[in-house]
Amino acid sequence: MLVTFWGTRGSISTPGRTTEKYGGNTPCVTIESEGTRIILDAGTGIRNLGIELVREAESGKEPLEIHLLLSHTHWDHIQGLPFFLPAYLKDTKVTIYGSPKKERFLASVLKRQMDYEYFPVSMSALTADIRIQEMSEENLRLGPIEIEWEEQVFHPGGSVRYRISAHGKKVVYATDVELDLIFDRDKPSEEKEAAARDYLQFVHGADLLIADGMFGEEEYPARVGWGHASIPAVIEAATKAKVKQLAVFHHDPQHSDKYLDDLWVKYRTRCLADPHSMDLFWAREGLTLAV
Amino acid sequence: MSKKDKISEDSKPLDITEKIPRERFANMVPVAQRAYLEIAGSQEKDGIFELSERAVVIGRSTECDIQLGVQNVSRNHARVAFHNEEYLIEDLESTNGVFVNGIKVVKCVLRNNDQIEIGGVKLVFNEEKRLHKK
Repeated sequence: MLVTFWGTRGSISTPGRTTEKYGGNTPCVTIESEGTRIILDAGTGIRNLGIELVREAESGKEPLEIHLLLSHTHWDHIQGLPFFLPAYLKDTKVTIYGSPKKERFLASVLKRQMDYEYFPVSMSALTADIRIQEMSEENLRLGPIEIEWEEQVFHPGGSVRYRISAHGKKVVYATDVELDLIFDRDKPSEEKEAAARDYLQFVHGADLLIADGMFGEEEYPARVGWGHASIPAVIEAATKAKVKQLAVFHHDPQHSDKYLDDLWVKYRTRCLADPHSMDLFWAREGLTLAV
Repeated sequence: MSKKDKISEDSKPLDITEKIPRERFANMVPVAQRAYLEIAGSQEKDGIFELSERAVVIGRSTECDIQLGVQNVSRNHARVAFHNEEYLIEDLESTNGVFVNGIKVVKCVLRNNDQIEIGGVKLVFNEEKRLHKK
């Protein structure tokens, strides 16, 4: 599987000189295997992906068939959708998947983002064949890729994590979840214990875990309840779950490249001290790796 | 003469400030972008390769644009191409892989000061932007 990061920033896009290394676009990741491609989240990073996909379509390949899986519908995860060029191509098929647990249906949430008051083009005016599908109990199979999912509760409004498997390899995309609360030793509860068990089981043995690690340990105490994890909490959970490679993702908009570099050196040095530890890196825009 | 004195001298007469036409600033906008791959620790000039908009292949083969005569480097190991006004490094299915800042990559957009490792050879990507001299 090839994993590409098109947007790695959390909350809001952060263009500018100080964020060009890790990138300023909000979440969007693609996973490809044998010509089947899935997209995880439609943050502002999906705009550049769309440009590349249109180039591919124009170079004479078959019409685009796009599968977009949403972790949830907070702005930073859907705001690129109106700027996704393939949605304006007549022959393109786009299927958007998301949680069935939304109080308002997924289709309605996405359509309202394109109400005339917010955006000049309505969703019904998009020329691609767009289908919006809530995830069902059954796993989703797309070509060689199998997709499993679970709801995550420790984020305002909830979110969904996905496990993508192909050819015996597993990539888990688990962003926007406050692991510090799930693995909270000071205030344990049955709900937290169950959530911790489910999380560890879901990510166990992942070849790559793409995980929300928005805050450094010094920052987290002032951000409890925001629905995002601290970096040490992610590292600890991933280590417990015997993850092989961890991509810290959903970078805080306040974190410059220099600050992220400093955090990376600090936590990677700790990881390298353990010879059995996983490979740890900070997700950055424009990076493709093989799993 | 101090810098301050020099400025005062050049600015005479003091009761008049010259108005600068906007067109003069317009000539300053175009930027020349230059990028280099530098073999880390190399003291020689031939350890620095200037990149252009033409893709270059790095490898052990004598056919390569950047030849690295090291056994752990594949014959055609990696390509650096100019794509969307950025430099992109791509592994050409090499035996030992391409690493950017310690991460094994298939492809990666390069940023200033990225450290690349190819078959044990370390290279640094540097870029600079300057005003065109007219």
